[in-house]
Amino acid sequence: MFDTVYPQLIGLCTGALLLTSALMVWRHSLLASIRLLSAQGFALAALVAVIGVEEGAAEVIIVSVLVLLVKGMGLPWVLAHETRATTRTDEAPRLNPTAGLLTVALLTILSYVVASRLLRDDSSVSAHAAGIGLAMVLIGFLLLVTRRQAGSQLIGFLVLDNGIATVAFLTSGGVPLFLELGISLDVLLVVVILYVFAGRMRNKFGNTDIDQLRKLHD
Amino acid sequence: MTSVAAGMLGQVLLMLTAVAAALLTSSRWRSRVSGILCALLAGAGVVTGALALFGGRGSLTIPTALPLDPLVLSPDRLGGLVMLVVSVVGLLASLFGIGSARVASASRTAWVSMAVFLFGMQLVPAATDVVSFLLFWEIMTLGSTALLLAHHATRGTVASALVWYSAMSQLSFFFVVAGFAVLAGVTGGTGFAALATLDPASWQASLAFVLLLLGFGGKAELVPLHVWVPRVLPEAPGHVAAAMSGAMVNIGVYGALLVCVRLLPNGPAWWGVLVMALGAVSALYGILQASVASNLKVLLAYSTTENMGLVFLGLGASVLLRGDHATGAADAALLAALLLMVSHAAFKATLFLGAGAVARSTGEMNLDRLGGLGSRMPWTAAAFGAAALGAAALPVTGGFVAEWMLLQALVHGSRVGGEVVSVTASVAMPLAVAVIALTAGLALLTFVKAYGIAFLARPRSVKAKQAREVPVIMRVPLAIGAILVVGLGLLPGPLAEALASALGPAFRPDVRTIGLAGIDARGIDVVLDPTTLLALAAVLLVPVLMAVLASARRHPTRVSPLPWAGGGSRLRPRMQYTATSYAEPLVRVFDDVLRPTRDVEVTHVGESRYLVERVHVEQSVSDVIETRLYRPVLILAQRFGVRARRAQNGSIHRYLSYSFLALLVVLIVVSL
Repeated sequence: MFDTVYPQLIGLCTGALLLTSALMVWRHSLLASIRLLSAQGFALAALVAVIGVEEGAAEVIIVSVLVLLVKGMGLPWVLAHETRATTRTDEAPRLNPTAGLLTVALLTILSYVVASRLLRDDSSVSAHAAGIGLAMVLIGFLLLVTRRQAGSQLIGFLVLDNGIATVAFLTSGGVPLFLELGISLDVLLVVVILYVFAGRMRNKFGNTDIDQLRKLHD
Repeated sequence: MTSVAAGMLGQVLLMLTAVAAALLTSSRWRSRVSGILCALLAGAGVVTGALALFGGRGSLTIPTALPLDPLVLSPDRLGGLVMLVVSVVGLLASLFGIGSARVASASRTAWVSMAVFLFGMQLVPAATDVVSFLLFWEIMTLGSTALLLAHHATRGTVASALVWYSAMSQLSFFFVVAGFAVLAGVTGGTGFAALATLDPASWQASLAFVLLLLGFGGKAELVPLHVWVPRVLPEAPGHVAAAMSGAMVNIGVYGALLVCVRLLPNGPAWWGVLVMALGAVSALYGILQASVASNLKVLLAYSTTENMGLVFLGLGASVLLRGDHATGAADAALLAALLLMVSHAAFKATLFLGAGAVARSTGEMNLDRLGGLGSRMPWTAAAFGAAALGAAALPVTGGFVAEWMLLQALVHGSRVGGEVVSVTASVAMPLAVAVIALTAGLALLTFVKAYGIAFLARPRSVKAKQAREVPVIMRVPLAIGAILVVGLGLLPGPLAEALASALGPAFRPDVRTIGLAGIDARGIDVVLDPTTLLALAAVLLVPVLMAVLASARRHPTRVSPLPWAGGGSRLRPRMQYTATSYAEPLVRVFDDVLRPTRDVEVTHVGESRYLVERVHVEQSVSDVIETRLYRPVLILAQRFGVRARRAQNGSIHRYLSYSFLALLVVLIVVSL
């Protein structure tokens, strides 16, 4: 019974991942993006859980709980908390939503082409879905390049990280528990540092538009 | 362990000791301790080089972590000769430095880099593979750069001179690496023995030859890679300039010899023509610039370009003639190149040390402000004079023997047994003779000016008037240098035999000692015995001289007042020739090549157009090659730099976009 449902579940989870990523490009509001990021965290946790059940590995199930806690709840909560407390302005991206979605489509096609070339010998269901992970990496990068506010940049960075995690889980059944723990903590640390940094920027310049950071000072 | 290996190991240990001593001793003792240790380091090089030159063998292996063969240092006879020559110059420079080094040149940096510089220079000729050659080559270059950098704090012009030096050093290093890379790529080895297996007729060999020639020519200060020389050497103190211009250029010559004699012997004729052309242009351009220079060190620096040009002319002639099977003349030309290299090292080191002594006593390098030093600094004047004779290629010096040999080889080169060897040779040889004749004439003029204006007549400035002779420790190397210059000229036979043995076994000029240490070049059937000629001249001249003296005693000299002195009865220093006025006719003749800039400023008395109060004349000769060849390149590079700055505007988004695009391109390339 599970064998027939498994590919569909994988498709559902990865579809949710891609959809949330694409929506993040579309939406301007920072809070909406954070909610989407939370949803993406849940989808990633579900994906990991599905893989864990399929492989019957308890360790992977534990990882999925960890992913749920860190990426689905922890990080979005921290971000939302800070954003509500400080940000009043919405994002004015350098790319309009239509062009953004078009670019997302092109990037997704490119990812599928690349993934199918790279994983030519792997015919498993999860390997077929690996293109989604690559597309998330590229979409995360796109967010980094096109967003002005430091907070949105952070979201782009987290999408990129989610994309890497997705590729890792889909192609090799996930990384070992301790490694995943380490990576999650690293990401958490980066988020905290970037938030402190953004806070200082806001105190100093009144906003967090990184376009204004152009000169080096001693 | 053989004595050669022990000598090289001794050089390593002495270098480390000298570095440690320079770092640890206080400023009061530093020059003495470091100078003596540098002299010992050079002394170890002298012994090792002499042992290797006379057939000693020994090797030092340095294992590396690189995926290459271990580095092996094992000088052959030719390497031993070059090591000997550079070490002798290094020894003189170190001894001179003990006395002359002050303030910046006595700093820790200066003495540490002096030891490193000497060490690198002495071990380049010991290398038997590309990697160790390049390693020591770079040690030498970096050492000399740091040595010059030590004077950065005291003089503002050092920085720009050093930028030129570093850029040109790296350019020639690039050529050398590229040349060796071609050889190594084709033959598949990095040892010199493996590289020598390449067929000289192949196009890869020609490519490597041209690259290596440019690289080594740059180190030997040849046109057009010489532009650093007139900037750097005037900034360097005398002993550093002596080590660079007297010794380091020989490493460039050694590189060229390595290519022409060891790695790619018997190359096609056009290689020889190329080397000859490079040498001829350098010789003419160098001596022309030297003859109009009024700064003593600039004059000596350009004269190095001239001498190295002649060395390469000889080298090129030997390649060309060997290709035409005129072996005797070819070997004689090669021998002449070596003779010139050795005697140039002796006289140029002495000249630069003399210039250093003058700089120390007067603080002045502008010839127009010197004069009258002969009576105030007799030792320096005598040594400088002897070396100037050598540089002007006049008899009883090594320079004369070398240029005589070169001329003989070229004259005998176009015909062998009455048959014309080739059309190329019969055109190139007379042209080369003409170049040497013009060069020799201009060199004579140049050194008459250098010696006459600086040491004779009356002092042209207060500083020159107050000059004192330098201390004994500086006079000793000057005297040794002068003795070497004359000694090499009086004993050409044994010298030529030693040099000929260094070239073997494939190249072995047939020379013997004849008469009183004279030279008998059998390959081209010429003989020169300076000592015998000198003895004969003495026998003839002594009675004449005695007769003249006797008659002078009988007729007491009459002192008569000046009948007419142009309105003024007292001669003043300003009435004398200056270096600029002496060279004026030459500047006019070669106006098109030199393109001097003149600035004449006339101050009139009041409103009058006819009464002149003061005339100020200023003339400067710039380096045409620098302004015509390098300036446009530099301007182009600067424009590119300004454009490139637009790509680097500091925006984080832009840098992120670059990374994103790079990632996309990689992905697209992967999926293709």
